[in-house]
Amino acid sequence: MNHRTHPVKRAFVKVLGGRRTQSVAIPIFCIVLSLLAAAIVLLCLGKNPLQAYAGLLQGSGLFPKDSYAAHRSILTDFISMVDNWTPMLFAALAVAIANKGGLFNIGVSGQMLAAGFTATVLIGYSDLPAVVAKPLVFVIGIVAGALVGALIGFLKQRFNINEVVSSIMINYIIQYIVSFFIYTYYVDPISRQSRAVGANARLTLQQVSIGDLNTVLPIGFVLAVVCVFVLRFLMNRTKFGFELKAVGANKRAARYAGIPVGSRIVLSMTISGALGGLAGVTYYLGYYASIQPRTLADMGFDSIAVALLGNSNPVGIFFSSFLITAISKGSTYMSSTVGVQQEIASLITGIILLFSACSAFIRYLVEKYRVQLEEADKAMAEGGKA
Amino acid sequence: MEQEDYIIEMRHITKRFGAVVANDDVSISVRKGEIYALLGENGAGKSTLMSMLFGMYEPDEGEIYIRGQKVRIHSPNQATKLNIGMVHQHFKLVQNYTITENIVLGIEPIRRKFGLFPCVDLKGANEKIRALSKAYGLEVEPTEKIEDVSVSIQQRVEILKMLYRNAEILIFDEPTAVLTPQEIEFLLEILRSLRDGGKTIILITHKLEEIKKVADRCAILCRGKLVDVLDVATTSTKKMANLMVGRDVSFVVDKKPPKFGDVVLDVKDLCVENRDHFDVVKHVSFQVHAGEIFAVAGVAGNGQGELADAIAGLTPQKAGKITVNGTDLTNLGVRARTKAGVSYIPEDRQAVGLILDFSLGENLALKSYGDPPFCEHGVLKPDAFVEHAKGLISDYDIRGQKPEGPVRPMSGGNQQKIIVAREIDLESPLMIFVQPTRGLDIGAIENIHKRMIAERDKGKAVLLISLELDEIMNCADTIGVMYNGEMTKIAAADTLTANEVGEFMMGVKAQ
Ligand SMILES: Nc1ncnc2c1ncn2[C@@H]1O[C@H](COP(=O)(O)OP(=O)(O)OP(=O)(O)O)[C@@H](O)[C@H]1O
Ligand SMILES: [Mg+2]
Repeated sequence: MNHRTHPVKRAFVKVLGGRRTQSVAIPIFCIVLSLLAAAIVLLCLGKNPLQAYAGLLQGSGLFPKDSYAAHRSILTDFISMVDNWTPMLFAALAVAIANKGGLFNIGVSGQMLAAGFTATVLIGYSDLPAVVAKPLVFVIGIVAGALVGALIGFLKQRFNINEVVSSIMINYIIQYIVSFFIYTYYVDPISRQSRAVGANARLTLQQVSIGDLNTVLPIGFVLAVVCVFVLRFLMNRTKFGFELKAVGANKRAARYAGIPVGSRIVLSMTISGALGGLAGVTYYLGYYASIQPRTLADMGFDSIAVALLGNSNPVGIFFSSFLITAISKGSTYMSSTVGVQQEIASLITGIILLFSACSAFIRYLVEKYRVQLEEADKAMAEGGKA
Repeated sequence: MEQEDYIIEMRHITKRFGAVVANDDVSISVRKGEIYALLGENGAGKSTLMSMLFGMYEPDEGEIYIRGQKVRIHSPNQATKLNIGMVHQHFKLVQNYTITENIVLGIEPIRRKFGLFPCVDLKGANEKIRALSKAYGLEVEPTEKIEDVSVSIQQRVEILKMLYRNAEILIFDEPTAVLTPQEIEFLLEILRSLRDGGKTIILITHKLEEIKKVADRCAILCRGKLVDVLDVATTSTKKMANLMVGRDVSFVVDKKPPKFGDVVLDVKDLCVENRDHFDVVKHVSFQVHAGEIFAVAGVAGNGQGELADAIAGLTPQKAGKITVNGTDLTNLGVRARTKAGVSYIPEDRQAVGLILDFSLGENLALKSYGDPPFCEHGVLKPDAFVEHAKGLISDYDIRGQKPEGPVRPMSGGNQQKIIVAREIDLESPLMIFVQPTRGLDIGAIENIHKRMIAERDKGKAVLLISLELDEIMNCADTIGVMYNGEMTKIAAADTLTANEVGEFMMGVKAQ
């Protein structure tokens, strides 16, 4: 008899209330909810949401298309999604490590650009052999990004300049300096972008044959996955991670505990910048081969949302960055198959991010319903006795 | 039975947090217009019981009646509607808001500009609060920011916040733990006058003499259960203490005569300034020997806190020299000073002494996490944290959390015990104890005092800074009095009476 009352609330608590499963169940619930919300948008536009979502998955190589061009398959689509996923993963990890230290790295885009540009100029146009050039690109990306991050950290530690303000300013400075150099020295007269880097320096191998397939191969992805585990270990199991989290959680207590707060701030921004730099080289010398002047990569800003969606936890970020990349990558194909504008696809990404941000609210709701139901049951039991 | 005029009745209340039973079938009834005290050890469930009356939690079992009506108090707003107000153990104020803004927060008076645009009428509110504070003798300057005022003013703000919301039932959770003796007297006076004005007051405190002074009745909680409700007038403090702790508590600790060793802490001509470059410690010199408890007495805000911070390295010194066992501390950072032999119980446990979101085990190792066995080659050993924590938890009777759980939900007194346990465990030659027993129950206080004296007997130098004259007179071998940033008197404890110390503290007497 009992379960007839409040069936919705009961189901809600049952599905999402499990203490152990909650950390996975709630994000999935959020995603389902957002897909439903986006479906309504699509229905309003007179499109079939199922077809649209299939297009989304097909575009990112997660669901087979009806037909493929020669030397293409679901695998090549998937790998080219991974190509895009790589810089996003680096960028979100960059945001996460700063977050743990209580810092907000909004300057990932700038760090990406600085690293991408430096590596392009120093190595991209050289004719070093690939085995030397590619590692050098990684190293230069790390160093350039780290230097920008360190500068932001230093400004905070030394002059107490808020990192958000300095990052935004530095973003502008880098963007205009890079534009100046590209227009003056490195511009490609046709594309109005920087000249494409050589294949020797590019971090995504082009035209690789696997069987009869012809695919790209992002070599940075391996490093990105390694970074996920290294960061996880760093944050949870090392002295440095302990100190970083202490500084992020309570600066005064960290100081009292003898932790050099200033140096930890600089160091966490430096690591964050280095990861941003890796995002930059895998983006500008991997996914793309050139730099578009006067713009910052949106990815640097999207990565903030991705990091939050993954709860600043490296493994969580692995999945959240996968999800967001798959959607944004698949959206191009979706817009062509279903005939909706690219903007609608971005809208859906936005809706997912918005709903994911609600997970705390949903957790609260579950707890509230649980209490309500328990009380209702109790009242019922007492009523039964009387 | 129910004919009597009870304004609050809590019947058969049970509240669990996971495996912890914070309240176990507790029933209390409070009459209108009385001061009802709640007494109990740390973690006995006092704050939890009152949080339920204030709608922060809901009971798992049991019922609440207010003015004879059965009610469900599901939120603090609901409690406010029932004219219930609460001053929490750890204040809940917005630091960078003004006093007025804090008081009106959530029920801002609205004025329509040009009869159209709604905006908050701060001017009107300022006036109203000024009038309110006059009426109750709780003087504050409504336009000051919270971060700029002392704790006792912050407490007044919390009280005014309740009165502004027309509270009739006022709950005070350990209001005197943060106050100086003079401020306590003043607060008790306020409590009496509030009661005489018809308000009903529930007072949580660990200080028996306060209960004796103002309360009408007193309920005693022990490990979540109600033990007894007593008429204060006819019960001795000894009996209360006995009921609460379950054994006899001695208020005066036994102490062997001290055996002084070499000088451990040597402070010479120390000057410290605060953030506004105002001298707060002025040319202070003193020495603490091994095997000595040197107690610094003084009214709050006379430079004792800064003195401790300067020795621990949290505040830079402007001039002078501090040495510990011959090591000059002047240019050392906090970590180096800890290694050189300084342990420090800071005044503010939540803001400085603990990282509330870290686990109990991590907090107990907050100063030694980087050394073996907690850490080898930069890699932490989680098991070592747990093992270490288990030992200290049983030694210091820390209740309410597993080693892996966060310290945030722990009761105030148990949080304090974490810090005390950690700092004594460092085995440093110099131990700086600032208000080490703040918020502890009398059993725990006795325990801490015993340990402090045991450390002294082991040859440690103890610098005790306390606002409680009783604590100082009980424990000190040497007493230094600070007044207005200067050490105005240093003398062996047995050559001074409490009265004399009090006079030095007030600056009435000078050397
Ligand atoms: N939100 C919570 N989650 C888990 N446990 C809690 C929570 N709040 C309180 N507890 C536990 O309930 C018990 C009672 O805590 P409470 O704060 O009521 O004690 P108290 O009597 O106020 O003690 P103190 O004198 O130290 O302030 C403690 O063991 C505490 O750890
Ligand atoms: Mg309490």
